[in-house]
Amino acid sequence: MNEGLIGLRALLLETPMLAIFLTLAAYLAGARLFVRLGKPSWCPAVLIAAMLLAATLALTGVDYDDYRAGAGWLMLLLGPATVALAVPLYQQLPRIRELWLPVLCTLPPAAMLAALYSVGLAWLLGATPEVLASLAPKSVTAPIAMGITEQLGGVIPLMMGGLLITGVMATAFVGLLSRWLDIRDERVLGFVLGVNGHVIGTVRAFEYGATAGAFASLGMSLTGIFSALFLPLAWRLVGL
Amino acid sequence: MSSLYGFLCLVGFLLLGEALVWLLHLPVSSGVVGMLALTLWLMAKGRVSQEIQSASQPLIAILAMLIMPGVVGVFFIVEAFAGQWLIVGVALVPGTLFSVATTLWLMLRFMPKADSDE
Repeated sequence: MNEGLIGLRALLLETPMLAIFLTLAAYLAGARLFVRLGKPSWCPAVLIAAMLLAATLALTGVDYDDYRAGAGWLMLLLGPATVALAVPLYQQLPRIRELWLPVLCTLPPAAMLAALYSVGLAWLLGATPEVLASLAPKSVTAPIAMGITEQLGGVIPLMMGGLLITGVMATAFVGLLSRWLDIRDERVLGFVLGVNGHVIGTVRAFEYGATAGAFASLGMSLTGIFSALFLPLAWRLVGL
Repeated sequence: MSSLYGFLCLVGFLLLGEALVWLLHLPVSSGVVGMLALTLWLMAKGRVSQEIQSASQPLIAILAMLIMPGVVGVFFIVEAFAGQWLIVGVALVPGTLFSVATTLWLMLRFMPKADSDE
Protein backbone atom coordinates (compact mmCIF):
# COMPACT_ATOMS: atom_id res chain seq x y z
CA MET A 1 0.00 0.00 0.00
CA ASN A 2 1.40 3.42 -0.85
CA GLU A 3 2.21 6.20 1.61
CA GLY A 4 -0.85 8.33 0.86
CA LEU A 5 -3.30 5.53 1.48
CA ILE A 6 -1.59 4.54 4.73
CA GLY A 7 -1.84 8.16 5.86
CA LEU A 8 -5.52 8.27 4.94
CA ARG A 9 -6.18 5.02 6.81
CA ALA A 10 -4.49 6.42 9.93
CA LEU A 11 -6.53 9.62 9.62
CA LEU A 12 -9.85 7.76 9.32
CA LEU A 13 -8.96 5.54 12.28
CA GLU A 14 -8.50 8.56 14.53
CA THR A 15 -12.20 8.56 15.39
CA PRO A 16 -14.39 5.47 15.96
CA MET A 17 -16.42 6.29 12.82
CA LEU A 18 -14.52 3.99 10.44
CA ALA A 19 -14.90 1.02 12.78
CA ILE A 20 -18.61 1.75 13.20
CA PHE A 21 -19.03 2.12 9.44
CA LEU A 22 -17.28 -1.20 8.75
CA THR A 23 -19.37 -3.02 11.37
CA LEU A 24 -22.70 -1.67 10.07
CA ALA A 25 -21.71 -2.34 6.47
CA ALA A 26 -20.60 -5.92 7.20
CA TYR A 27 -23.75 -6.58 9.20
CA LEU A 28 -26.10 -5.32 6.47
CA ALA A 29 -24.12 -7.07 3.72
CA GLY A 30 -24.21 -10.27 5.79
CA ALA A 31 -27.97 -9.97 6.26
CA ARG A 32 -28.51 -9.41 2.54
CA LEU A 33 -26.24 -12.30 1.53
CA PHE A 34 -28.06 -14.50 4.04
CA VAL A 35 -31.39 -13.82 2.30
CA ARG A 36 -29.77 -14.29 -1.12
CA LEU A 37 -28.48 -17.73 -0.04
CA GLY A 38 -32.01 -18.76 0.96
CA LYS A 39 -31.62 -18.30 4.76
CA PRO A 40 -29.53 -21.43 5.46
CA SER A 41 -29.99 -22.48 9.09
CA TRP A 42 -26.38 -23.76 9.35
CA CYS A 43 -24.94 -20.35 8.45
CA PRO A 44 -26.79 -17.46 10.13
CA ALA A 45 -26.39 -13.85 9.04
CA VAL A 46 -24.08 -13.01 11.94
CA LEU A 47 -21.53 -15.65 10.87
CA ILE A 48 -21.47 -14.34 7.29
CA ALA A 49 -21.15 -10.79 8.61
CA ALA A 50 -18.29 -11.70 10.97
CA MET A 51 -16.38 -13.39 8.14
CA LEU A 52 -16.93 -10.42 5.82
CA LEU A 53 -15.72 -8.07 8.53
CA ALA A 54 -12.61 -10.14 9.29
CA ALA A 55 -11.78 -10.34 5.58
CA THR A 56 -12.24 -6.57 5.19
CA LEU A 57 -9.95 -5.84 8.14
CA ALA A 58 -7.31 -8.22 6.80
CA LEU A 59 -7.46 -6.79 3.26
CA THR A 60 -7.33 -3.14 4.31
CA GLY A 61 -4.62 -3.85 6.87
CA VAL A 62 -6.58 -2.31 9.74
CA ASP A 63 -5.16 -3.58 13.01
CA TYR A 64 -7.74 -5.52 15.04
CA ASP A 65 -6.92 -3.61 18.22
CA ASP A 66 -7.49 -0.28 16.44
CA TYR A 67 -10.78 -1.58 15.06
CA ARG A 68 -11.81 -2.93 18.44
CA ALA A 69 -11.08 0.38 20.15
CA GLY A 70 -13.43 2.15 17.74
CA ALA A 71 -16.15 -0.49 17.59
CA GLY A 72 -16.22 -0.55 21.39
CA TRP A 73 -18.54 2.45 21.07
CA LEU A 74 -21.03 0.23 19.30
CA MET A 75 -20.67 -2.55 21.87
CA LEU A 76 -21.65 -0.06 24.58
CA LEU A 77 -25.19 -0.37 23.22
CA LEU A 78 -25.19 -3.99 24.35
CA GLY A 79 -26.06 -2.69 27.84
CA PRO A 80 -29.30 -0.85 26.97
CA ALA A 81 -30.16 -3.60 24.45
CA THR A 82 -30.00 -6.21 27.23
CA VAL A 83 -32.21 -4.02 29.42
CA ALA A 84 -34.63 -3.73 26.47
CA LEU A 85 -35.26 -7.49 26.62
CA ALA A 86 -37.41 -6.73 29.68
CA VAL A 87 -40.18 -5.60 27.30
CA PRO A 88 -40.84 -8.95 25.53
CA LEU A 89 -40.23 -10.68 28.85
CA TYR A 90 -42.91 -8.58 30.55
CA GLN A 91 -45.36 -8.93 27.66
CA GLN A 92 -45.16 -12.73 27.76
CA LEU A 93 -45.23 -12.96 31.54
CA PRO A 94 -48.63 -14.71 31.74
CA ARG A 95 -47.40 -17.49 29.43
CA ILE A 96 -44.10 -17.75 31.32
CA ARG A 97 -45.96 -17.99 34.63
CA GLU A 98 -47.88 -21.01 33.30
CA LEU A 99 -44.59 -22.77 32.74
CA TRP A 100 -42.56 -21.82 35.79
CA LEU A 101 -42.18 -25.45 36.82
CA PRO A 102 -40.64 -26.86 33.60
CA VAL A 103 -38.49 -23.73 33.31
CA LEU A 104 -37.10 -24.04 36.83
CA CYS A 105 -36.59 -27.81 36.56
CA THR A 106 -34.84 -27.56 33.20
CA LEU A 107 -32.60 -24.60 33.76
CA PRO A 108 -30.00 -25.74 36.33
CA PRO A 109 -29.19 -29.12 34.72
CA ALA A 110 -29.32 -27.63 31.22
CA ALA A 111 -26.98 -24.74 32.03
CA MET A 112 -24.58 -27.01 33.90
CA LEU A 113 -24.51 -29.61 31.13
CA ALA A 114 -24.05 -26.98 28.40
CA ALA A 115 -20.71 -26.11 30.02
CA LEU A 116 -19.87 -29.63 31.15
CA TYR A 117 -20.22 -31.37 27.76
CA SER A 118 -17.83 -28.96 26.07
CA VAL A 119 -15.34 -28.56 28.89
CA GLY A 120 -15.38 -32.34 29.39
CA LEU A 121 -14.75 -33.07 25.71
CA ALA A 122 -11.97 -30.48 25.56
CA TRP A 123 -10.40 -31.84 28.73
CA LEU A 124 -10.46 -35.42 27.39
CA LEU A 125 -8.70 -34.21 24.26
CA GLY A 126 -6.02 -32.49 26.31
CA ALA A 127 -6.92 -28.81 26.06
CA THR A 128 -4.86 -26.32 28.07
CA PRO A 129 -6.47 -24.80 31.22
CA GLU A 130 -6.61 -21.48 29.36
CA VAL A 131 -8.74 -23.04 26.59
CA LEU A 132 -10.97 -24.83 29.11
CA ALA A 133 -11.63 -21.55 30.93
CA SER A 134 -12.45 -19.86 27.62
CA LEU A 135 -14.92 -22.58 26.61
CA ALA A 136 -16.80 -22.85 29.92
CA PRO A 137 -19.10 -19.81 29.45
CA LYS A 138 -19.86 -20.71 25.80
CA SER A 139 -23.65 -20.56 26.25
CA VAL A 140 -23.64 -17.37 28.33
CA THR A 141 -24.56 -13.97 26.92
CA ALA A 142 -21.49 -11.88 25.99
CA PRO A 143 -21.32 -9.27 28.79
CA ILE A 144 -21.69 -11.91 31.53
CA ALA A 145 -19.41 -14.37 29.74
CA MET A 146 -16.59 -11.80 29.63
CA GLY A 147 -16.70 -11.45 33.41
CA ILE A 148 -16.76 -15.23 33.93
CA THR A 149 -13.86 -15.87 31.54
CA GLU A 150 -11.70 -13.28 33.25
CA GLN A 151 -12.46 -14.80 36.62
CA LEU A 152 -11.57 -18.32 35.42
CA GLY A 153 -8.39 -17.22 33.64
CA GLY A 154 -9.53 -17.61 30.03
CA VAL A 155 -8.86 -15.58 26.90
CA ILE A 156 -11.62 -13.18 25.79
CA PRO A 157 -11.19 -13.37 21.98
CA LEU A 158 -11.16 -17.19 22.16
CA MET A 159 -14.26 -17.13 24.38
CA MET A 160 -16.04 -14.80 21.91
CA GLY A 161 -15.17 -17.18 19.07
CA GLY A 162 -16.59 -20.04 21.12
CA LEU A 163 -19.71 -17.96 21.67
CA LEU A 164 -20.09 -17.47 17.92
CA ILE A 165 -19.68 -21.17 17.09
CA THR A 166 -21.99 -22.20 19.94
CA GLY A 167 -24.69 -19.73 18.91
CA VAL A 168 -24.50 -20.82 15.28
CA MET A 169 -24.54 -24.52 16.17
CA ALA A 170 -27.36 -24.11 18.69
CA THR A 171 -29.61 -22.43 16.08
CA ALA A 172 -28.72 -25.07 13.50
CA PHE A 173 -29.33 -28.03 15.84
CA VAL A 174 -32.58 -26.60 17.25
CA GLY A 175 -33.84 -26.19 13.68
CA LEU A 176 -32.76 -29.70 12.77
CA LEU A 177 -34.11 -31.45 15.89
CA SER A 178 -37.41 -29.55 15.89
CA ARG A 179 -38.08 -30.58 12.29
CA TRP A 180 -36.94 -34.12 12.92
CA LEU A 181 -38.99 -34.60 16.13
CA ASP A 182 -41.82 -32.35 14.87
CA ILE A 183 -41.73 -29.94 17.84
CA ARG A 184 -43.60 -26.71 17.11
CA ASP A 185 -44.18 -25.33 20.59
CA GLU A 186 -42.63 -21.85 20.44
CA ARG A 187 -42.20 -21.79 24.19
CA VAL A 188 -40.00 -24.90 24.20
CA LEU A 189 -37.99 -23.93 21.12
CA GLY A 190 -37.45 -20.38 22.37
CA PHE A 191 -36.29 -21.51 25.78
CA VAL A 192 -33.88 -24.07 24.31
CA LEU A 193 -32.48 -21.42 21.93
CA GLY A 194 -31.94 -18.92 24.73
CA VAL A 195 -30.33 -21.38 27.15
CA ASN A 196 -27.92 -22.82 24.59
CA GLY A 197 -27.48 -20.13 21.99
CA HIS A 198 -27.43 -16.87 24.07
CA VAL A 199 -27.93 -13.72 21.93
CA ILE A 200 -27.59 -15.51 18.59
CA GLY A 201 -30.23 -18.05 19.63
CA THR A 202 -32.48 -15.29 20.96
CA VAL A 203 -32.30 -13.38 17.68
CA ARG A 204 -33.27 -16.60 15.88
CA ALA A 205 -36.12 -17.17 18.36
CA PHE A 206 -37.64 -13.77 17.56
CA GLU A 207 -37.87 -14.98 13.95
CA TYR A 208 -40.07 -17.86 15.14
CA GLY A 209 -42.34 -15.36 16.92
CA ALA A 210 -42.80 -13.07 19.93
CA THR A 211 -43.49 -15.95 22.32
CA ALA A 212 -40.34 -17.80 21.29
CA GLY A 213 -38.39 -14.55 21.63
CA ALA A 214 -39.64 -13.94 25.15
CA PHE A 215 -38.85 -17.49 26.25
CA ALA A 216 -35.40 -17.16 24.69
CA SER A 217 -34.79 -13.89 26.57
CA LEU A 218 -35.85 -15.66 29.75
CA GLY A 219 -33.60 -18.67 29.05
CA MET A 220 -30.67 -16.44 28.15
CA SER A 221 -30.87 -14.30 31.27
CA LEU A 222 -31.46 -17.23 33.62
CA THR A 223 -28.52 -19.13 32.09
CA GLY A 224 -26.36 -16.02 32.48
CA ILE A 225 -27.26 -15.54 36.13
CA PHE A 226 -26.97 -19.23 36.98
CA SER A 227 -23.62 -19.68 35.20
CA ALA A 228 -22.15 -16.56 36.78
CA LEU A 229 -22.81 -18.13 40.17
CA PHE A 230 -22.10 -21.76 39.27
CA LEU A 231 -19.01 -21.73 37.05
CA PRO A 232 -16.55 -19.94 39.38
CA LEU A 233 -17.68 -22.25 42.18
CA ALA A 234 -17.29 -25.38 40.06
CA TRP A 235 -13.84 -24.20 38.95
CA ARG A 236 -12.73 -23.82 42.53
CA LEU A 237 -14.09 -27.27 43.48
CA VAL A 238 -12.32 -29.00 40.60
CA GLY A 239 -9.19 -27.06 41.46
CA LEU A 240 -8.38 -25.68 38.03
CA MET B 1 -38.78 12.31 20.47
CA SER B 2 -40.75 9.54 22.14
CA SER B 3 -38.21 6.80 21.42
CA LEU B 4 -35.49 9.07 22.79
CA TYR B 5 -37.37 9.19 26.07
CA GLY B 6 -37.60 5.39 25.98
CA PHE B 7 -33.85 5.16 25.40
CA LEU B 8 -33.31 7.44 28.37
CA CYS B 9 -35.32 5.00 30.51
CA LEU B 10 -33.28 2.03 29.25
CA VAL B 11 -29.99 3.78 30.04
CA GLY B 12 -31.39 4.80 33.41
CA PHE B 13 -32.20 1.19 34.27
CA LEU B 14 -28.75 0.12 33.03
CA LEU B 15 -27.15 2.61 35.43
CA LEU B 16 -29.43 1.40 38.20
CA GLY B 17 -28.22 -2.15 37.41
CA GLU B 18 -24.63 -0.94 37.55
CA ALA B 19 -25.24 0.64 40.96
CA LEU B 20 -26.91 -2.52 42.31
CA VAL B 21 -24.06 -4.72 41.06
CA TRP B 22 -21.59 -2.50 42.86
CA LEU B 23 -23.63 -2.14 46.06
CA LEU B 24 -24.51 -5.82 46.44
CA HIS B 25 -21.30 -7.27 44.90
CA LEU B 26 -23.38 -9.24 42.38
CA PRO B 27 -21.45 -11.51 39.99
CA VAL B 28 -23.91 -10.72 37.14
CA SER B 29 -23.60 -8.01 34.48
CA SER B 30 -25.33 -4.66 34.96
CA GLY B 31 -27.41 -5.23 31.80
CA VAL B 32 -29.08 -8.32 33.23
CA VAL B 33 -29.74 -6.66 36.59
CA GLY B 34 -31.15 -3.63 34.74
CA MET B 35 -33.37 -5.94 32.69
CA LEU B 36 -34.75 -7.63 35.80
CA ALA B 37 -35.30 -4.23 37.44
CA LEU B 38 -37.18 -2.96 34.38
CA THR B 39 -39.29 -6.13 34.27
CA LEU B 40 -40.27 -5.60 37.92
CA TRP B 41 -41.04 -1.95 37.23
CA LEU B 42 -43.25 -2.85 34.24
CA MET B 43 -45.03 -5.44 36.39
CA ALA B 44 -45.68 -2.80 39.03
CA LYS B 45 -47.01 -0.37 36.42
CA GLY B 46 -49.01 -3.03 34.63
CA ARG B 47 -48.23 -1.88 31.09
CA VAL B 48 -45.40 -0.96 28.69
CA SER B 49 -45.38 2.66 27.58
CA GLN B 50 -45.19 3.47 23.88
CA GLU B 51 -41.86 5.23 24.47
CA ILE B 52 -40.10 2.22 25.98
CA GLN B 53 -41.59 -0.06 23.37
CA SER B 54 -40.34 2.05 20.46
CA ALA B 55 -36.85 2.29 21.96
CA SER B 56 -36.58 -1.44 22.74
CA GLN B 57 -37.63 -2.92 19.43
CA PRO B 58 -34.81 -1.53 17.26
CA LEU B 59 -32.21 -2.34 19.93
CA ILE B 60 -33.34 -5.97 20.20
CA ALA B 61 -33.27 -6.22 16.41
CA ILE B 62 -29.56 -5.32 16.29
CA LEU B 63 -28.43 -7.46 19.26
CA ALA B 64 -26.47 -9.80 17.00
CA MET B 65 -24.62 -6.88 15.41
CA LEU B 66 -23.57 -5.54 18.80
CA ILE B 67 -21.50 -8.63 19.64
CA MET B 68 -19.74 -8.64 16.23
CA PRO B 69 -16.77 -6.43 17.19
CA GLY B 70 -15.84 -8.91 19.92
CA VAL B 71 -16.61 -12.02 17.92
CA VAL B 72 -14.42 -10.98 15.00
CA GLY B 73 -11.40 -11.08 17.29
CA VAL B 74 -11.32 -14.88 17.03
CA PHE B 75 -10.09 -14.65 13.43
CA PHE B 76 -7.01 -12.76 14.65
CA ILE B 77 -5.88 -15.24 17.32
CA VAL B 78 -5.78 -18.29 15.02
CA GLU B 79 -2.00 -18.59 15.30
CA ALA B 80 -1.86 -18.07 19.06
CA PHE B 81 -3.87 -21.27 19.62
CA ALA B 82 -2.45 -23.26 16.74
CA GLY B 83 -2.64 -26.76 18.27
CA GLN B 84 -5.99 -26.29 19.95
CA TRP B 85 -8.50 -25.63 17.17
CA LEU B 86 -9.46 -29.24 16.52
CA ILE B 87 -10.14 -29.64 20.25
CA VAL B 88 -12.19 -26.43 20.32
CA GLY B 89 -14.22 -27.62 17.32
CA VAL B 90 -14.90 -31.06 18.78
CA ALA B 91 -15.77 -29.52 22.15
CA LEU B 92 -18.19 -27.00 20.68
CA VAL B 93 -19.95 -28.77 17.82
CA PRO B 94 -20.91 -32.15 19.35
CA GLY B 95 -20.95 -30.48 22.78
CA THR B 96 -23.63 -28.05 21.63
CA LEU B 97 -25.58 -30.84 19.90
CA PHE B 98 -25.66 -32.80 23.17
CA SER B 99 -26.67 -29.80 25.24
CA VAL B 100 -29.43 -28.75 22.80
CA ALA B 101 -30.79 -32.31 22.80
CA THR B 102 -30.66 -32.51 26.61
CA THR B 103 -32.41 -29.17 27.13
CA LEU B 104 -35.08 -30.12 24.60
CA TRP B 105 -35.64 -33.46 26.31
CA LEU B 106 -35.78 -31.93 29.82
CA MET B 107 -38.17 -29.20 28.71
CA LEU B 108 -40.53 -31.63 26.96
CA ARG B 109 -40.40 -33.95 29.93
CA PHE B 110 -41.52 -31.25 32.38
CA MET B 111 -44.07 -29.57 30.10
CA PRO B 112 -47.69 -29.86 31.23
CA LYS B 113 -49.35 -32.54 29.13
CA ALA B 114 -52.62 -30.77 28.22
CA ASP B 115 -51.23 -28.03 25.96
CA SER B 116 -47.95 -29.54 24.91
CA ASP B 117 -48.74 -29.21 21.20
CA GLU B 118 -50.22 -25.75 21.18
